[in-house]
Amino acid sequence: MPKVLLMGSPNSGKSMLFNRLTGLHHKVANFPGITVDVSVGRMQAIPEFDLVDFPGTYSLQAISADEKVAVENFERALVDPDVVQVLCVIDATRLEKSLYFTLQVIRECVRHGKPVSVLANMIDVLDTHKLSLDTQGLSAALQTPVMPTSARSGKGLEAVISELKADHAGMGSEYVELPDEQLRAKAHELAHRFGPKGDVLIRNQTRLDSIFLHSVTGGVAFFFIMYLLFQSIFTWSAPLMDAVEYVLSTMADWIVPLISNQVARDFTSDALFGGIGAFLVFVPQIFVLTFIIGLLEDSGYMARAALICHKPLRLFGLTGKSFIPMLSGVACAIPAIYAARAIDSPRKRLLTYMAIPLMPCSARLPVYTLLIAAFIPAGTALGGLLGWQGMAMFAIYFFGMFCGLLVTALVSRTSKDHYNDLPFVLELPPYRLPSMRPLLRNSWNRSKHFVTKAGKIIFAVTVVIWILGYFPNYGTDLGASWLGYMGHIIEPLFAPLGLDWRYGVAILSSFLAREVFVGTLGTIFGIESADEHMAPLVQHIQNSDLALGSGIALLVFFAIALQCVSTLAILAKESQSNSLGIKLFVGYFLFAYVAAITAYQLTNFLT
Amino acid sequence: MSLSLWTLKTGDHCEILGYDDALDEKYRIRLMEFGFHRGESVSCLHSLGFGAPKVYRVSNTVYSLDDEVATHIMVKITPSHA
Repeated sequence: MPKVLLMGSPNSGKSMLFNRLTGLHHKVANFPGITVDVSVGRMQAIPEFDLVDFPGTYSLQAISADEKVAVENFERALVDPDVVQVLCVIDATRLEKSLYFTLQVIRECVRHGKPVSVLANMIDVLDTHKLSLDTQGLSAALQTPVMPTSARSGKGLEAVISELKADHAGMGSEYVELPDEQLRAKAHELAHRFGPKGDVLIRNQTRLDSIFLHSVTGGVAFFFIMYLLFQSIFTWSAPLMDAVEYVLSTMADWIVPLISNQVARDFTSDALFGGIGAFLVFVPQIFVLTFIIGLLEDSGYMARAALICHKPLRLFGLTGKSFIPMLSGVACAIPAIYAARAIDSPRKRLLTYMAIPLMPCSARLPVYTLLIAAFIPAGTALGGLLGWQGMAMFAIYFFGMFCGLLVTALVSRTSKDHYNDLPFVLELPPYRLPSMRPLLRNSWNRSKHFVTKAGKIIFAVTVVIWILGYFPNYGTDLGASWLGYMGHIIEPLFAPLGLDWRYGVAILSSFLAREVFVGTLGTIFGIESADEHMAPLVQHIQNSDLALGSGIALLVFFAIALQCVSTLAILAKESQSNSLGIKLFVGYFLFAYVAAITAYQLTNFLT
Repeated sequence: MSLSLWTLKTGDHCEILGYDDALDEKYRIRLMEFGFHRGESVSCLHSLGFGAPKVYRVSNTVYSLDDEVATHIMVKITPSHA
């Protein structure tokens, strides 16, 4: 099938253009390095063409891993007969940044006989500020069509579609023999001749930066924004969580009595509503978390946060660029590991890989929420401004991050590698008002992905746990069931944490995926209660005589242990090392176990 | 007199004189791709203090550089354009 390549420098709006032209919904954000892999989609207006989106790169001389992906794929594409056209996206508001790369792309395309067009994106921003770009002059100088576009509004995309069918023989031939050094000088000259005049955009950016990057207000704003992030996970999602719980409970009360077969009725009540239902209650929190992180990315604040965090992170062997993957890890470790490709220093990238599994990911959220709701009172302080449960959530999130930093500090101090240690250079994008629709769509997709991906595992584990717990005595005595028998074998392993066999079974099942813990506990308590009216899982835990020390030990264990098969697989793929995942899995399990015992003993000593 | 870019304070303007030999070749090239050419005007927009990276404007783009890079870029201070 004929292919059209989409190239461009980081943060030029390439992914948004890709979404516009294909109708797909790939993630977009306002900081460099959001696209780290090659994406392919069919063009809506020309269905016989595939559009291929490459990661953004500043030049064809790659430094970071995501740039290498773009450059290597571009080199292969140049000799691919299916590639019929190259579209090079430039940021019209910051021309010089994009033009050197554009000239390199034009030169290589001409050498290989591939037609190329330039899309001057973000033209709407220039229009808003009454600035202009001389596209005709630039087009003549580049000997290549230059089309003003706005991925955000869709402006100029019809012209792009028409251009794809045009004949461009002989274009850009002036640059075919020019070395990189002369292309750089040419880019500089063209940007000054044809680029927008005036610095209104920079002045707007500087005004906001004088608050967000001020040595006092910048730090205060950073902590305030991070605190709001964690508080909102509880406060914004609470009504939605209550609604999901109400719907599930009503459905259970309505459906279960209609089932006449006793085994089917128990399965529906314990495994479906008790197990899977207990997990679905937490989906609104995943939605809210993804939405707020998206809001920060799209506004341009994330790059400022990376800058603010650079110096403190350097103390732990990391870089400010580690902040973005680490904060993404608060949503999910998998995109966070991909995002770490944008870290150009191989050593700091490796250290970031080590820290990411300790970030409090959304799979931990149902476990934290459940345990905090079971042990921490729902009261508030300072006239309702501070919620105790929100504070506890902040503390356990902070603990996970602290453990991540502790590990990287230890590793970076015990193994020096100056060769792979590169310095910090970060482009600061302009501030933008976030687009709500893509953000809401991305949050919805993330929640859907979470349900479908984790849901399959949870369903399978729930069915197995239910069968083992229900038979051979048809749910009359859980302790005498097959599950009870297995649980008692592993009980000594978890006894030092004050946990009985039921929690031991739930922890073991969570090594597939953390959130399985909630579903497993829901199923176990569902069988045990033999009650047709579904009680909230929190109530079951509160009634199970679990000591405060054990609750804290569980929180500590889940904050550290690497219980995610998908994360291990992606770590092996991205680090190109199978041993890294295995080492982290074993190391973090031992660390989690020892820390949980310590937490249990300390709490018992203090209470 | 030649100074390093890192010595600039908020509001200072300078002209790039070149790079010292200690900076890795690929980083020197990347900085030139960003617009940090010899003879180019650069201004320091923000300096957070506490050793945090400083914010520099070159052409119409804003970059943040830490001391490990900025100390290798040689500059001379120029009067403000404002």
